[in-house]
Amino acid sequence: MEDLFERTILIVDDESINRELLGNIIQSEYKVIYAADGKEALEKIHSEGNTISLVLLDLLMPVMNGNEVLKTMNDEGIINEIPVIVLTSEKSSEIESLKLGAADFLTKPYDLPEVILARVRHSIQLFENSKIIHATEFDKLTLLYSPEFFFEYASQFDQRFPDKVMDAVVVNFTRFHLLNELKGRSFGDEILNAMADGIRKALLKTGGIAGRNEADFFYLYVPHDENHNILLDKIKDSLSPLLKPSEIRLRLGVYSDSEHKFAMTQRFDHAVQACNSLRNKTSGDSDICIYDDKMAEKEVFDAHLLQDFEAAIEQKQFQVNYQPKFNIKGDKPVLCSAEALVRWIHPELGFVRPDLFIPLFEENGLVTKLDRYVWEESAKQIRRWKDELGVTIPVSVNVSRVDIAAPDMTDFITKIVKENGLSASEYMLEITESAYTSDSKHIVEVIENLRSLGHKVEMDDFGSGYSSLNMLTSMPIDVLKMDKAFIRNIQPGNKEMKLVELVLDIAKNLGVPVVAEGVET
Amino acid sequence: MITLEELRALGADVETGLSRCMGKEDLYLKLISMGLGDAKFEELGAVLEAGDLSKAFEICHALKGVIGNLAITPLYEILSTMTEKLRAKEQTDYKAMYSDILKIRSKFWKPQT
Repeated sequence: MEDLFERTILIVDDESINRELLGNIIQSEYKVIYAADGKEALEKIHSEGNTISLVLLDLLMPVMNGNEVLKTMNDEGIINEIPVIVLTSEKSSEIESLKLGAADFLTKPYDLPEVILARVRHSIQLFENSKIIHATEFDKLTLLYSPEFFFEYASQFDQRFPDKVMDAVVVNFTRFHLLNELKGRSFGDEILNAMADGIRKALLKTGGIAGRNEADFFYLYVPHDENHNILLDKIKDSLSPLLKPSEIRLRLGVYSDSEHKFAMTQRFDHAVQACNSLRNKTSGDSDICIYDDKMAEKEVFDAHLLQDFEAAIEQKQFQVNYQPKFNIKGDKPVLCSAEALVRWIHPELGFVRPDLFIPLFEENGLVTKLDRYVWEESAKQIRRWKDELGVTIPVSVNVSRVDIAAPDMTDFITKIVKENGLSASEYMLEITESAYTSDSKHIVEVIENLRSLGHKVEMDDFGSGYSSLNMLTSMPIDVLKMDKAFIRNIQPGNKEMKLVELVLDIAKNLGVPVVAEGVET
Repeated sequence: MITLEELRALGADVETGLSRCMGKEDLYLKLISMGLGDAKFEELGAVLEAGDLSKAFEICHALKGVIGNLAITPLYEILSTMTEKLRAKEQTDYKAMYSDILKIRSKFWKPQT
């Protein structure tokens, strides 16, 4: 078995005496193989290249001379793998060889053996060191910089160009993990490589450097730009052979630091926060968010809300409001049910809008506790209306996708319905459209279960997410609620109107009543 | 075969030559014999006779390299001189120079009989 640390040197010279002289010197420290001309040399390099640590190359040889060998090694990229020291007695040929990538040269007649051995050792060491750096410098998949090197080079950039305004940009593919799950990891890798290519092409135009952090986070340090359109366009172009336009979901977080106030990693932290703040956008468009002081404030604000959650539950700071729903089929609108909506009256902050805390709690695993609180209160309220006013008003409560994942959800609902002496038909559930697109099989099971118990199930925010029309046919729903955005701009004959009419038509064919959200008058 | 003493006496830089051979005397003497016996010496004569100066340059250059490595100084010097003249394609009495080369060579080397 070969000694792993034994290195092999290839000696190339057409004169056998020269080969013997050199071989005798070199073999005191290395294993030696020989070639008598350029052609033989390349053959040996091709067949044993993995074990060759260095080549000693005579320049003047018949068949193929030294510089031709160097040219070929260049073309094949081998020049970067194996250092070459040329042997020459002509001063003029040194320059040509060095230009062709020779690592060093030795003159003829030969130097003292110690000198030759030192130069060989030195060249080998330099090459091996640079290979190690090379290995860690770049991310293996995309060949962009790995994080440590990226930050190092970015900082160096600042030192060299202290007055240039640069942006810390983070690019991410939204819900990339879904892509991996749906289409497989090797497809995911192709996507990442395509994004890296797009980034490289953009950098050619804009300047700057790029690296890759975990999974699908790309870091870029680029000259300041208002909207980084070039970057977005180049990435989209690179992705277009792989994905449909509607499947491309990119988000950009940008932190601009004109005064170079913050450390590089901090600037990128801010850019990441800006990027993540776009997490809940469900629209297909790619989006950019620029970090500003408001973000910092938001971070503090969010932390505050999270801290106060438990107390808010205990102290019943969350109030449930009931929005009436009317049946417009007859002459006069008739109150037929109510939707339970949660409001937060915070002791210090006052009224906190739901869109400020609901996504936050969804992200932090608190939403189930909140929703169950609302469910319980709603059930109690239906009971109260019956007892105090003698009326039965069914209530629909919101169920988020996180709630559905809980295995005891149906049991919990059944329990509170029973505790409050209600019938299932009085307790309706609204599931937001985006929940359907995550794990349809499980959701369908849960919904069918609930419906079999007598509950009505509504699909909320229809039109705001990714549902395909044929999903409608496979989803067992009782009511379709159209998103406000759908009906906001309808005018007789315009395309928004046509779309609404289309949905109404489909719903009618499926036998599903449709509710329009946000009707004021 | 010539000895180290004789080489020294004839003006060869034996110390340098030996150091290039990592001090191995047998190797040095063997290579000296090989170098001096190279058929290129005869080839050089032939191409000079034929007037092919560029081929003569190649051969002379190669001989110079080997003899230089072996530190046979007097022979190296005359081979260097001829190499440069051939490189410049000078018109000179190469025949005379060539016979000088053979003369010096024969001091160091006797063809095996």
